[in-house]
Formats: sequence, structure tokens, C-alpha cells
Amino acid sequence: MEKLTSLTTEQITRDLLPQKFGRRGKIWTGILILICLVGAFAYYRQLKNGLVVTHMRDYVSWGIYISNFVFFVAISLVGSLITAIFRLANVPWRTPLTRISEMIAVSAITFAALIIIVDMGRPERLLNLFIHGRLQSPIIWDVIVIGTYFCISLFLLYVTLLPDIRIMIKAKETLGKPFSKLYRWLGSFWNGEANQEKIRDRVITILCIIIIPVAFCIHTVTSWLFATTYRPGWDSTNFGAYFVSGAFLVGAGAVVVAMYIFRRAYHLEKYITDRHFDKMGRVLVLLALLYLYFNVNEYLVPAFKMKKPEAVHLTQLFAGDFAPLFWFAILVGMIIPIFILVFKKGRRPLPMFVAGVMVVVGAWFKRYLIVTPTLLHPFLPMQNVPESYRHYFPSWEEWAIAMGSLAGALLIITFFARVFPVVSIYKTLTDENEKV
Amino acid sequence: MRMKRFKINRSWFLFLALLISCAAISQDSIIRTPSLILRYFCSDNKVPYLFVQSKWKVGKKYEPAKGIVVKLYLDNDSGSNLLGKVTTNEDGDAKAIIPPTLKPVWDNSETHTFIGISEATKEFDETRIEAAITKTKITIDTLTDGETRSITVNVSALNGTDWVPAKDVEMKIGISRLGGILSAGDEDTYTTDSTGNAIVEFKKDSLPGDVKGNIVLVARVEDNDQYGNLQIEKTVPWGVSFTPDNTFFNQRTLWSTRFRTPAWLLFMAYSIVIGVWGTIVYLVLQIVKIKKLSKNTTT
Repeated sequence: MEKLTSLTTEQITRDLLPQKFGRRGKIWTGILILICLVGAFAYYRQLKNGLVVTHMRDYVSWGIYISNFVFFVAISLVGSLITAIFRLANVPWRTPLTRISEMIAVSAITFAALIIIVDMGRPERLLNLFIHGRLQSPIIWDVIVIGTYFCISLFLLYVTLLPDIRIMIKAKETLGKPFSKLYRWLGSFWNGEANQEKIRDRVITILCIIIIPVAFCIHTVTSWLFATTYRPGWDSTNFGAYFVSGAFLVGAGAVVVAMYIFRRAYHLEKYITDRHFDKMGRVLVLLALLYLYFNVNEYLVPAFKMKKPEAVHLTQLFAGDFAPLFWFAILVGMIIPIFILVFKKGRRPLPMFVAGVMVVVGAWFKRYLIVTPTLLHPFLPMQNVPESYRHYFPSWEEWAIAMGSLAGALLIITFFARVFPVVSIYKTLTDENEKV
Repeated sequence: MRMKRFKINRSWFLFLALLISCAAISQDSIIRTPSLILRYFCSDNKVPYLFVQSKWKVGKKYEPAKGIVVKLYLDNDSGSNLLGKVTTNEDGDAKAIIPPTLKPVWDNSETHTFIGISEATKEFDETRIEAAITKTKITIDTLTDGETRSITVNVSALNGTDWVPAKDVEMKIGISRLGGILSAGDEDTYTTDSTGNAIVEFKKDSLPGDVKGNIVLVARVEDNDQYGNLQIEKTVPWGVSFTPDNTFFNQRTLWSTRFRTPAWLLFMAYSIVIGVWGTIVYLVLQIVKIKKLSKNTTT
């Protein structure tokens, strides 16, 4: 942002205002919509024929949907990391990253909630969770905390948007009509006066304070869905911290990927600079090392004791059917990004983008490995169980719905970037004024 | 050399013959033979009913034959004596009661023959089965003499217009328990004497009964060639009063129902939810305040 001092307010505003989709933007949006439609068709088939269209059976009853859910919950934590923690720690270079992380958080938590409904098979029974739910069940805690986190994330995104909305209302001529009604409905009351600003600042500070424990809760409670059982691979006191650290890593990885794409697509090189990539690279390598540390804890301790059920599970992961996927997730999701990012050259935009993609892809497979292998080895195996119960590979409907949900989350981010600035105009201008 | 070749050929021939015969035997063993069973039941001397069971005999095992239509007749297979038409369920079972229209035929004689004829299907050939019974009455009585308790079961058969004692009828006499009958005495089964009585000394003291200590005594005649299946029950206060201990389920625990959530969990959960959502509501009110400030400025 050092270079920004030479830019005028008008230039900064013009650069950061939302832009119409170009040809590549339209193709990208079209592809996402297509994937979503295929997912919707697969979901229609699931609703019509029941969960039998999936390959989930009595052994693996949580398959790719729940892996996807854990992935979405994990990635949504980035909102609290970048916005809340960086703000409270007064990290000066956070400005261009906060909006991106908030967008990712809102879209991810939305689809985390939706994918659970998909996994239920009978969506009309969702209400029963509230009517007949037991407060003793971690599932109810998860429902409450996901709803709360969604509201807080959306609220935080909205409050930080208010000054930008005012700018966009003013820039009606540049932006055109399409969204002017929406802008007016959302923030016409904001005039940027000192007393309004004072209240807004207090609201953001309070939101940043409460979003951190709620964010920790959301992923800790998700980890307890697994850790409150006795099953090998899940029965761990380490699980909450293990999940939270993994969530920070994948969230930061997603922000890096989004930073790179937005920078390229909207020509934001002056705002999302190499310095930001360098800083985020340091954060990412720290988080990758932290997650690696928790992984060592998670696997080394039971591997040292090798209790019989744990031994079966660990052998499957280390040298069995899941070994290629397991080592892929460890290497691609942590080890290789660490090696890329510890070097200064690795913290430049392109290598950072590659490392970010690796972290996100590795994290998705890691969630699959947390959920599925454990379920394939129940403590009380059934007698004469059909062979199909012993293996799990998602059906095309499951793949389509899972990919549709991922595309849906990306679509929300894409539409958001079309309607609102991906970098806060107001905050960028304020930062520049303060510098001057 | 020739002899040797002949020997080899002969042994090959024997081996092939063995193989063919084995294959024939194994093929025989998987033939599915239809089978039909007809049973007469009468409980507590009330309306008797018929129980039909259709099965496949596959090798040495039986499998239920579902969806078999069986016509049931009383005494002869004429249309006027049709008891009913039943279809066997997934377990191969079906039930039919004697309809009131056949009461004159039923009252006409002390012995009757039930006839079951299954309708032929692609796999299940038409099968006919008969079950002959003599009308019977079964009673149960109890006697307490000091500390000795006894059960007397009487079986009498209709002979003309008179009820005569049915002797040598084997039956189970005991206490109705989940899944069967617990014998009241030392023997598994008892047989009626020349007076039609079977007397059992009740030796199962301290059996848990219901809240009032009631237990159900049962006498059951099973698959008797002459009388079919008979059963009589009597409730007596010979058990030990049993009050279920619900205190375990009434506790506020993590495994209880949602109405028995532990107080500490309720307190913690509600505190967190009220704390967080109270803050959110407060912040929403702050936004409303910002809106009001805007209106004031405009005015």
C-alpha cells in the first residue's frame, strides 16, 4: 500500500468499486451455476428416491456430506481470524484482507448449514431438531452455535460495509442502476457523521470480541461431534484444538487463494501487494506448523500405544487403503506448503497461490479422512454384513451435491464481489489519510 | 501298456460317474418343495381360529412362502362350507376364524375336519391339507392349602351332547413369561389322568409379578393330534409385587430425555446463549440508533 499515497481519492474509489463481469467472469459464473444445477438435480434425485442413492450404508453413515460440512465450518473460521484477531491485535496491513475473509466466512457457514440439511435426507424433519432436540447432545450445540456464528458473521460483514455503501450510493452514475435500490435499502441512513462512526466503531469492536469465542466454539463443538464417541480416530481430548488449528490453516489458505484471484481479476496490485502476500505467507506457515504439531500429537500418541482398534485404524491410514490419500493430505496440505513458504521467494504471489490451493485441497481430503475410515471399523461389526458396507466411495449424486455446494459457496463470493467492493474503500482511504 | 491305459480309462470313467452322481445329488438338494400346514387354535374356550403356514422346503431347510392363497373349508370342500380365503404374509403365515354363517355346521357335530387347499401358482403346486379335531373344553383352577399351592387343569371332550374327560393329553402348565412358559413344577410337561385332570404343585415362589404381585398361569396343549392347540390362562396373586425403579431414569443426566437435562448444563448453555444473543440484540439496537441519528440530522 506504500504506493497508494500517490493516488487520489477518486482513483482509489474508482479502482475499488465493484466492476461488471468481463468475459472470464461470465464464463466462471456460468460454470459455477452449471455445477450448482447438476448438484440440484442430484439432490432432487436424493429427495425423490431417498438416501439410498448415496453410497452411505449402515457402516459409513457420515460420508462426503459431513466431510464437506466440517470443511465448510473450518474455512468459515477465517472471518474471525483476519477480521477479529487482526483488528484487536491492531495489525496494520489487514485492510485489504478483511472483506475477503468475511465474504468467505459468510458463504462457507451458509453452505455448512445447508449441507447438514442435505445429509439429513428428510429436510422436512429439520424442525424436529428444535422441537425434540436434547440440550445434552453436541448436535444441538452445533445447531445453536452455527446459527449464532452465521448471524454474527453476516452482521460483521454488514456493519463494515456501511461506509462503502454510502460511497456506492454516491457513485450511482459510475455503477449504474442494477444495485442502487439494494444499496439504498441497506445503508441510505449512513451519512458518516462522527456520532454514527463512533457507534459503528463500538459495534465492530464488540462483534470482533464475541466472534472469537463463538468461532472457537463452532469448530470445537464440531470436533466434539466426533470426540464425544469412543471410536478409534475420534476418541481424543486433542480434537478441539486440532480442529481449530486446522480451521485457521485452511481459512488462511482460502484467503490467500482469494487474494490472488481478486488481485488478478480486478487489477488490485496496488492494494493487495507483495507485502500482503509475504505477511500472509508468514501467518500461513505458522498455522501449517501448528496444525502439523497437532497432527503429530493426534497420530503419534495412539500409534505409540497401538491399542487394537486404534491399530486397525492407523494401519489403514498409514499403510492401508487410505494411505495414498492420507500421505497426500499430509504432504500437500502441510509439509510442501511449509517448505514453499519458509523461503522469502515462496511468499511471492504465485507460489503463495499454489501453496494456498494445496492447503485448501489437502484440507478437504483431510476432513474426508477424519470422517470416513473410522466409520468403516465399528466396534461391533455386523454379522454377514454385505460387502458394500465395508467400503465407501461416494456415488455420483454425492459427488454432484458436494461439488455443487462448493460451487455454491464460490458463487456467493462471486456475486458478492460483483455487488460490493472486495477491498474496503472507506478503510483504504482512511488508512491513506492517516498516513498523510 | 494296454492294460495300464485301460486302467486309466476305467478310473477316469469312475471319476466322471462319481462327479455326475454328486451333481445329481446336489441338484436334488436344492429342489424347492411346497409345504402347507394347518393348525387349529382355541384360547380360553372362545372363538377358535385356524392358522395356516406355507413353506418351501429347500434342501433340509424351510423358508416361508409368501403370497400363497389358501381356501379353507369345514368338513368338505364344497362352496357352502367355505370358511374363508387367506393369503400368507411375508412369514408365510395366515389366520382365519370360523364365520358365524357356519355355526349350524359347527354345532352339528363334535368332530370336524378342516380342509386347506392352496391355489396353484407358477412355483407352488395346488396342495391339500386336512386337520381333524374333536371339540374340547379346557379349564384351569387353583387351590391354596396352607403354604402349598396347586394348579388343576381339566380337559374334557365333547361326546354327543356330553363333555367327557380327555385323558393322556400332554400339556405345558406354568407361568407366562416373556418369550414362553416357565413350568410351574419340576416337569416340562404334564399329562391328564382318567378324570381329564392334570395337577401341578406350584413351586416357583418369589417370582416377580406386576405391581400387585399378579402372575399369569397358563396351560397350553400344543399340536395335539385329536384336539389341536388349546390354551387357558388365569391371573393369580402368587408373585412378588414388583415396582419398577424409575429413579435411574428420573435423574438429570447427560443420557436422560430432554426434559431431564442436568441443571449445570442448562445453566451454562442458557448463560452462553443469553450472553451472546443479548449482545447481538444490543448491537442491532445500536444500528437502529444509527438510523435514528440519521433521521434527526435530516430533520
